[in-house]
Amino acid sequence: MSGDALVAADVRKVYRPRNASPVEALSGVSLSIAEGQRVALLGRNGAGKTTFLRIASTLLAPTSGRVEVFGKDAIASPESVRPFIAVVPQEGKPFFHLTPREQAYTYLRARGFSRGTAKDRTESALAQMGLTEVADRLSITLSGGQRQRVMVATVIATEAPLLFLDEPTIGMDPFARREVWESLRNLTRKGSTLLLTTHYLDEAETLSQRVYIIDRGKLLAAGTAEELKQSMGGTLRVSVTGGRAILPELGTFGPTVQDGESVHVVTDPSRVQELLALAMRAKLPATVGPVSLEEAFLRVVGRSIDDES
Amino acid sequence: MNREATLVDRFRSRWSGAGAFAATELRVQMHEGLAIAVSVTVQVIFLVFVSVLARSYLPYTLVGAVLYSAFQTGQRVQNEAAFIRIDHKLHELYHASPLTPEAYFLGLATGVGIAYMLPIVVLFVAAVVIVPLGVSATLVLAGLLGLTWVFVSSIGYTFSTLFHDMRVIWPYATLFYNLFGVLPPVFYPLWLFPAYLQPLALVLPSSGATALAERAAGILSLSAGQVELALASLVTLSAAAFLFALYWARRQVREG
Ligand SMILES: Nc1ncnc2c1ncn2[C@@H]1O[C@H](COP(=O)(O)OP(=O)(O)OP(=O)(O)O)[C@@H](O)[C@H]1O
Ligand SMILES: [Mg+2]
Repeated sequence: MSGDALVAADVRKVYRPRNASPVEALSGVSLSIAEGQRVALLGRNGAGKTTFLRIASTLLAPTSGRVEVFGKDAIASPESVRPFIAVVPQEGKPFFHLTPREQAYTYLRARGFSRGTAKDRTESALAQMGLTEVADRLSITLSGGQRQRVMVATVIATEAPLLFLDEPTIGMDPFARREVWESLRNLTRKGSTLLLTTHYLDEAETLSQRVYIIDRGKLLAAGTAEELKQSMGGTLRVSVTGGRAILPELGTFGPTVQDGESVHVVTDPSRVQELLALAMRAKLPATVGPVSLEEAFLRVVGRSIDDES
Repeated sequence: MNREATLVDRFRSRWSGAGAFAATELRVQMHEGLAIAVSVTVQVIFLVFVSVLARSYLPYTLVGAVLYSAFQTGQRVQNEAAFIRIDHKLHELYHASPLTPEAYFLGLATGVGIAYMLPIVVLFVAAVVIVPLGVSATLVLAGLLGLTWVFVSSIGYTFSTLFHDMRVIWPYATLFYNLFGVLPPVFYPLWLFPAYLQPLALVLPSSGATALAERAAGILSLSAGQVELALASLVTLSAAAFLFALYWARRQVREG
């Protein structure tokens, strides 16, 4: 049963916009996703997440490279792959003049499900996404987060073997996000494979079994969230506001990552006291916490995921 | 036997889901009852003008109004396809699925076509009564409506894929449908059109279909050659536009 749901080898994409110079959105991305896994592509705006997802889901042609979905060539024969996949597009919206119930049901019917199956799956997906109360309201009357939930409900109702979700929880409140995560976990328990993109570190960490950090069209790191954190070489993080002034001293305690004016130092519990004393002498406020994916991201990418520059 | 089975299977896998998507699109369109009702505004205005100014031309304007209404559904197909793609990005949901691009196109065109058929039926009935149309003329007009629908839906869908901005589509679409739907002899008889341009009018699907319908109704005389020209052109253009739209739908489902 278990093989690879998705294999991408050296995928490159160069956009050639009219009246502008070419943009290399992906420069040789290779990855493989085992069946039943939940995998996140984590990256800043413009990193190439959507580009990769659209290529892997047969919606965009790569400039070069190879993509296989369940062993089928997604580039040469996309139509052989499409029955096995489903996609939540970035910034997609449901039909404004359908209700959530109609949207999910008609979509399943268009995918070839029988009336009975379509009905059952629709009800279950609406319930999972907390949409039961608004199930018979036109989507045009729903809030942004509710519309996004309709999109996710419609797609998870397919229970397709491979699901692509481009920022599935964007605009959702924390409760709704948890509902989505739970439904997605359920789906993989039933055997589906998920590839999602996100800027949310917690989403990558709590939901995914494997995280790929992507920046400027390249995969820079891969592993479980735990592995990525461990690669930092310590278990605690001391953040020193204004720490750039004493960077060389801080560097003696372990790897440092800069985040604007602040410096995060990843270190061992045994050295925290000493480090805090140093910060106090320099009159710089400091906080201590566990190492998070954020440090790993900062170190790999060189900038924070929410750094505006 | 086996061979037949695979042909049936292939037909099924290519077109299955088209009906369900047509039903989806029909349901979406039916929420815009007003848009459907006002889609015949221009036709009704022309009918009023003609009945006031030159009542004897009313049968021509009426037949033209029926065909022009069908002609205009191309614009609805185009706007809907563009809106789903540009504004909603919903096409990705349908394209990354077992629904083939051909079934997507046909489903969309059918759903929109059925929704906009209601006002056409009203005008059609008016034409049957007022022109009046006998059984055979009625059947001919129905056939011409079908061909027109095939032609404009195909053109509309193909057009819709060429734009990245809704606001750019509208002016071009308006130009296209006025230039080819209103200007040539659709709402007025062929003989009022400059003689040297009449062959062109027969070749155009809008005025060509109108001339054929009016001939079937016995209110326009055409030579056998003219009938052949108009019919051959309409059938060829409809078939070509349809086949091209199928090819194009498959091609553009994956962006370059
Ligand atoms: N159609 C296009 N034409 C030209 N350049 C494009 C096009 N689409 C994307 N790009 C560029 O390719 C790069 C990657 O874009 P992509 O949409 O894949 O990023 P992303 O990681 O999904 O970002 P976000 O988090 O903002 O959604 C960006 O530099 C973007 O500007
Ligand atoms: Mg994106």
